[in-house]
Amino acid sequence: MLLQTVNVGKTYKNGIVALANINISIDFGEFVFLTGASGAGKSTLIRLLFREEMPTAGQILIDGRSALRLSNSEIVRLRRNTGVVFQDFRLMERSSVFDNVAFALKAVERPWPEIKERVPAILAKVGLAGRENDNVMHLSGGEQQRVAVARAIINNPLILFADEPTGDLDPRTSDELIELFLKINAGGTTVVMATHDKSIVDRLNKRVITLSAGRVISDAVGGWAL
Amino acid sequence: MKASSFRYVFPQATKSMLQNGWMTFAAIMTITISLFLCAFFWLLLVNLNANAERIESDVRVVAYLAQEVTEAELPEIEKQIKWIDGVAELEFTDKLEGLSELEERFGGVDLQATLGGANPLPFRYSITAESTEQVAAIAEELQTIAGVDTVRYGQDTVEKLFALTATLRQVGLAIMALLGVAAVVLIAMAIRMTIMARRKEIMVMKWVGATNGFIRWPFFIEGLILGVAGAVVALTLVLITYNSAASYIHSAVSFVTILSLSEIWLTATAFTLGAGLILGALGAVIPLTRFMDV
Repeated sequence: MLLQTVNVGKTYKNGIVALANINISIDFGEFVFLTGASGAGKSTLIRLLFREEMPTAGQILIDGRSALRLSNSEIVRLRRNTGVVFQDFRLMERSSVFDNVAFALKAVERPWPEIKERVPAILAKVGLAGRENDNVMHLSGGEQQRVAVARAIINNPLILFADEPTGDLDPRTSDELIELFLKINAGGTTVVMATHDKSIVDRLNKRVITLSAGRVISDAVGGWAL
Repeated sequence: MKASSFRYVFPQATKSMLQNGWMTFAAIMTITISLFLCAFFWLLLVNLNANAERIESDVRVVAYLAQEVTEAELPEIEKQIKWIDGVAELEFTDKLEGLSELEERFGGVDLQATLGGANPLPFRYSITAESTEQVAAIAEELQTIAGVDTVRYGQDTVEKLFALTATLRQVGLAIMALLGVAAVVLIAMAIRMTIMARRKEIMVMKWVGATNGFIRWPFFIEGLILGVAGAVVALTLVLITYNSAASYIHSAVSFVTILSLSEIWLTATAFTLGAGLILGALGAVIPLTRFMDV
């Protein structure tokens, strides 16, 4: 099992219970949708899973090991096996497409010749071949999200978390992005995608975990549970 | 962190400094002022110590006789001085010679005419001791000889100089501490601004698995560059002003020993650059531990 949560809960300091008793398991190579209304706890769960935040209760296991008690080097290793994509892209606005993607390789201290070779290759994979020198602010929303995806997968992560990645995109661009996620998943990367877009979930017939008020109310293949 | 990553780290540090231009300028200026004043106090102390050491190594003691001592009494006094243990040489100066010397020091003024023919100077003996250790004992013995009024030697001047040096050292340390704190605070503020400006990049670095060292090094390097830049400006100012100040003091009070630039530049450079590095490192470490959770 790649990822498992055991009675995971998150209560913020102001007393708001964001998540309670979350018990889910995600296997290698799965494509999983996290759905639910706004405020249901999807983004919080994603943040806990990629260790941006810590749960206040329960245990998170990654490949059988606790993700909560890790040394600095283990955290670094975990993050190098994890990719993250957000609704608002979170790109470096003043930089080129190349620099945004290359940054992920520089940060893990890859040598320059390797960076020069791998960035154009990953851009071609996400449909942005030849756009290396464009400033990211001159790209469309869909293209910016593709840059963010390229940055997230360039280090070949085992798992890709996407938090409402189509939230700011029109339906056609959303479909193109979902196709890209399916392609990435077909390559062996586990994809966990939070979304409240019913049409995407209905169309793909993948596993859907539905959250409501911080609790899992459904975990089944296919269809919108709300 | 890999050595090759410094190719990323250094440009990042300098880029941030240029982006926060005014803050960088303010931080460098504060370090410059702090280190300039620190170096100034240090040079003052070093020179005072050098003067104290020179005076302390002086083996001469001067005994001024009482006004009423007559020439007839001189052989007896001289004999008693020669009996004192450790006296190597003895030189007598009569009242008239003393006055001539004084006239020479004042640039040839006719003091005798000015004083209406009177000469208020006493007879005096300049005694050279065999070694510096014997100077104090000789001075003490001289005081017991009948006819000897005042005894002067380097030691009491040295004591006064040491007292002055101690006070200056305390004042200097207090000023250095205050200025040092101000410099560290400004560097910390400059680096905190950089951290805020680059928050998004820091987050991305975290997500993709950059090590803590890789994320923190550019900020640490920025602190060191600010510290060293301030130190270099301060050192340049110190070395330029020291030469002019030294020649001015030497022309005004020629008996004062002023260490030459060649004697102080190496220590001054090590002191200023070392202090700049320490201030820069401290200024960087504070915001890195307080505002950056990686």
